[in-house]
Amino acid sequence: MTATRAPARPVPATRRPGLAPARLLGLELRHNAMLWMMPVAAALFWFTAGRKTLASPPLWNLRVAVMQPNAVLAFASPVAGAAAWMGSRESRRRTTDLVNITARPRPARLLITWAATTCWALVAYLACVAVVYGVTARQATWGAPLWWPAVVAAASLAALAALGFAAGTLVPSRFTAPLAAIVAFFALGLSTQLINGSQSYWLISPVVAGPWDLGPNPEVGTFYAYLPDLPMAQVIFLAGLTAAVLGALALPTGSGIRTLRRSAAAVTTAGLLVAGTAVVLAGTGRLDAHGMIAIPALHDAASDRPLRYTPVCGHTAIPICLNPAYASYLPATEAALAPVLGQVAGLPGAPARISQAAATYQQGPGNSVGIGMAGSPIGGTHPVFHFLLPVQLAGPVLTTSEMASQLRSATGPGILASVTGDGPGASKAQHAVTTALLMAAGVVPPGAPTAGNNVPPPAAGAGGERYAAPAPGSPAYAAAQRFAALPAAVRRGWLTQHLGALRAGRIGLRQLP
Amino acid sequence: MITGGTRAAPATTAGPGAPRLTGSFRAGIRLVRLYATGRRIPAALTVIVACALGLRIALTGHWDSYGALQLPLVFEAVAATAIAATAASPLGEPERLTGRWLPYLRLAATLALTAAAVGALAAAGTGAHLAGGTLDVLRNVAGITGIGLLCAATISGGLAWIGPVAYLLPGVYALYTQWHHPALTTPWLWPGRPPHDLGAAICAGLVFAAGAAVIAVRGARDLPGEQD
Repeated sequence: MTATRAPARPVPATRRPGLAPARLLGLELRHNAMLWMMPVAAALFWFTAGRKTLASPPLWNLRVAVMQPNAVLAFASPVAGAAAWMGSRESRRRTTDLVNITARPRPARLLITWAATTCWALVAYLACVAVVYGVTARQATWGAPLWWPAVVAAASLAALAALGFAAGTLVPSRFTAPLAAIVAFFALGLSTQLINGSQSYWLISPVVAGPWDLGPNPEVGTFYAYLPDLPMAQVIFLAGLTAAVLGALALPTGSGIRTLRRSAAAVTTAGLLVAGTAVVLAGTGRLDAHGMIAIPALHDAASDRPLRYTPVCGHTAIPICLNPAYASYLPATEAALAPVLGQVAGLPGAPARISQAAATYQQGPGNSVGIGMAGSPIGGTHPVFHFLLPVQLAGPVLTTSEMASQLRSATGPGILASVTGDGPGASKAQHAVTTALLMAAGVVPPGAPTAGNNVPPPAAGAGGERYAAPAPGSPAYAAAQRFAALPAAVRRGWLTQHLGALRAGRIGLRQLP
Repeated sequence: MITGGTRAAPATTAGPGAPRLTGSFRAGIRLVRLYATGRRIPAALTVIVACALGLRIALTGHWDSYGALQLPLVFEAVAATAIAATAASPLGEPERLTGRWLPYLRLAATLALTAAAVGALAAAGTGAHLAGGTLDVLRNVAGITGIGLLCAATISGGLAWIGPVAYLLPGVYALYTQWHHPALTTPWLWPGRPPHDLGAAICAGLVFAAGAAVIAVRGARDLPGEQD
């Protein structure tokens, strides 16, 4: 007798938890519209954000501040559009009923599709960020990468994908994807129109990288630590918004069992509360003295301490020292100020060093911001003259020659005035000597028309104002021309002997050689 | 034998005189109505009217220089995208095989919708400060619609929005560079050019003509399984 064995019953493979969602995510990643939108998004980034960012001076703070809003705007339309397209897929392919009878609950399926869309968006975005950060790391002379702005833009992509996806899911139409794409761009691009001052709820918009209308500020994070207060509020807002929108996807009847819908309602409520809290926090922000937005509830007082750095100094007659972040400006600064420094180097009371200072910021009415320098420009036993580089002031990005020109016409007179004691209330002789030294240095061309009035020169070291020489034909101007025409050695000798009396206002115009 | 839709419905109830003409006319109207319904043209018109209303409302607000100049372009892009979205056919191959009048219908729908968009947006700017004026609206709507139609013919009808949406950002950026040099002056970025710029008008016109011609002759590309 032959015994036969019954074939063993097939044993179902043990399912590892998380395997099915991972497999589903893999499928969604392979069939996601965002994958094909990545080149579009990257091209838009490069055209509008990448070139502009890399064309700005190689300062971490400046480049990331330029990158954050432009990256968000470049990615907004492709991400929101692709997400809406993916959200409307089931309706577009008439597969809603087919997939509704699968074991996986609808919210879980939708969540995985959104996750796949967000993954591809982040891959494209991170590749773009890697290029910008990589190039900046090679070019920057000081400092470390600032990650918060990059995190804000990444969180924006997740939120935009959620919003677009929700629109596509809830209103599946051929018009939904394009409308979602353009509305996302419109809402982000024009959200800044409503910002008024540093205490504005609209600062929560992810296209705001700092005090509005101050623009990308090269000073942020160079003399004082970068304040992550506003980026933190923005990330909190975006995370809450994303959670609320994704939770809302599971709210409609038929999305799942009651427990699931209750959980979704809780997530939506929590998300809305978090987002609302972040908006309120952003509204409490204020412009601090270092040009950044400080939010009291998120502020770390340790961030207010000045950063320690070793300045980079040049080799002019009086050494010029800059913050190492601005080291690339040193040659141009030296070239611009060397003729002026040569006129006063070694004279009694002349500065021993010319040192770059930190700017101070003050909120004005509306979106205006006052930028200046705290304290006296010159001081100390070994006098140090403090000045601001023109790039530290608000305004358009300057070329090297523009910056050198501004240094010559604003800082140069300030240095000389600090030696001669020129300024508001100074004597005509002091004004004439300052003008003469500027003529000798080539800053004020002798015999050329000048400002044409007797407005006293700006206080030494003040940023931005141009020097007003005496009007041609005036006794002070004639005295300045006469003094400038002297041989350099004679001029220097007279100054060495009489500078103290000149500063004290005891020398008149007629006493000038 | 395959015949056009207009001939498929004989005028059986018409009496002597001009029965056939009346029947053809009715069939023609029905064909246009069915075509418009299938292509979601009423929805596109609704979007266009909404754009015009939105632009009108927006123009009453206070905008800074950037906003005032860039605002109309956003609404123009939405209107152009809506026009391009009507290129997608819900019927696909059967319609192409049986529709003798299809190229004319496509062309007429494109031209009519573009004219409606230009008219509505220009009317919205009447009496307000519409940056660039009517000429700008005409050029931008036509050009961006052309991009959308070309995308519909090459990518797919459903994804026709990619072109206009992708073009919007460089267009806005070109306007931005009018303040922040170096300015982008290529006529292919026509939103950044002045309204009377001939090169920009020619570029936009060429793109629109190419898009309208391709859509009229070939129609939008169908993606398998995609319906709307």
